[in-house]
Amino acid sequence: MVDVLMAILVAGFTSGALYALATVGLSLVWGSMGMLNMAHAAMLTLGGYVAFTVITSLGLPIAIGFAGAILAGAVAGAILYFAIVRNLLKNDKSTFEANVMIATVGIGIALENAILLTYGGQPLKQPVSIAGTFRLGPLTLPWQNLLIIAVVVVMMVVVSLALGRTRMGRAIRATAQNRDAAQLMGVAVNRVYLQVLMLSGALAGICGVMVSSMTQLSPPLGNDPMLKAFIMCVVAGLGNLPGAVAAALGLALFESFVQYALGARWGFPSLLFVVIAVLIWRPSGLFGRAEIRRM
Amino acid sequence: MTGTAAKPPVLQLDGIVSGYDGLDVLKGISLTVNAGEFVTVVGPNGHGKSTLLKTISGLVPLRGGQISIDGQRLSGRPHETAMLGVAHVPQGDMLFAQMSVLENLLMGAYLAPDKAEIKRRLDEVYTLLPKLADRRGQIASSLSGGERRMVGIGRGLMMGGRILLIDEPSLGLAPLIIDQVYGVISELSKAGRTILLVEENPARVEDLADRLHLLDDGAIVWSGKPAELMARDELLATYLGG
Repeated sequence: MVDVLMAILVAGFTSGALYALATVGLSLVWGSMGMLNMAHAAMLTLGGYVAFTVITSLGLPIAIGFAGAILAGAVAGAILYFAIVRNLLKNDKSTFEANVMIATVGIGIALENAILLTYGGQPLKQPVSIAGTFRLGPLTLPWQNLLIIAVVVVMMVVVSLALGRTRMGRAIRATAQNRDAAQLMGVAVNRVYLQVLMLSGALAGICGVMVSSMTQLSPPLGNDPMLKAFIMCVVAGLGNLPGAVAAALGLALFESFVQYALGARWGFPSLLFVVIAVLIWRPSGLFGRAEIRRM
Repeated sequence: MTGTAAKPPVLQLDGIVSGYDGLDVLKGISLTVNAGEFVTVVGPNGHGKSTLLKTISGLVPLRGGQISIDGQRLSGRPHETAMLGVAHVPQGDMLFAQMSVLENLLMGAYLAPDKAEIKRRLDEVYTLLPKLADRRGQIASSLSGGERRMVGIGRGLMMGGRILLIDEPSLGLAPLIIDQVYGVISELSKAGRTILLVEENPARVEDLADRLHLLDDGAIVWSGKPAELMARDELLATYLGG
């Protein structure tokens, strides 16, 4: 019984780590810009394919593959800013949230189809994987799970330090909390938006590598993590980063337990049930503020 | 108060027009604030006092006229206006609610050139507002109204700007706290700070301001010394309800 429980915990923490990475990227953009980036899934997929190309097609080391995925995600975030967000911000701010959501749905579909045209629809094996297992007390655990958890922890620490200790991070948090006041202090908020989209894209890129290392590469790779990340964002309260991480880990563990107890097909419905219950009980999410400031 | 007749202008407004949607709130305002001077704009609620300061700092777009700081015309972009030395202490504080007092103050010094300058400004603020030093680790949203107002002023001072724009510092505060806030503003004025303050109640600035402008329906209808306005019962009755 203990073995089963530990196996569920490990599976839950691994999924939770991946969901947290996807959720933080999504939540960061919402929290600071009031923007629901529906292209996040495609940016995640892009990261997975870029790492595959760098490692498999170009024959470069895995570390370069990771760097390529991060860079591709960041560049995609920058393109999203210059092509879409900057132009929508020039228009009526009251329509920004709806317009940017529709625009990023289109960008996401276009990017997914571009990947389909380039790589085909057949699943590909992501080379970023560590074979074998290790012993932890009575448990035998895959190295791959440890790699995922380690990478996610490193990324979370980096994001946390970037937001908490750097001038750029203070500007991002200030803009999220009070855009007008941040501008009065001399913060160029458009530059902050660019930085946030690049940071979010970089997180999506690395998340894509990690997700595809557990499954396989395919054009719709990012859709499932994006959907679950959105659920976790809503449960945590949109824009709340620590809450997003806590919700991702908690819900992933919950999903793992449900899948073990009731069968795999009940995992996703159980998450939907939780999000509905939370929205009825606390419409702003478990950790959300009653009022979320928007642009 | 300081005698500033010979001092150069820091802020110059020349026929500025601005507003929201299709409505002009400010209808051709011109005024000058010289270095070290304390100028106040008084007027009833809803006649454009806050819009005036927001237009100067760039939060409300300028539709006509021009604004210059030290002779340099402003672009209308708030962050560039801050770079030129306009420190705006807005109405309702507009603090970063989830940041500590210290982080709010440090955001004021966002454009400061180096750490030594940030420390110098922080020491100056803590000397003037010692309570902020005691509260430095407290989250801004948990402060009282008076404390939040002090953080707003402290954050404005941390900007180290050429001119301090202060929007209705007495709004929503208890009389005792208002006296404390105006005590701090008086200290700043005595120290030679250049201040443009908007206020509904002219009695609050009677002993502080060098010059006073009366704003009504987006236009300046009277200018002079505060004591002169206080002696004009018909003006007070017509524009400020007595």
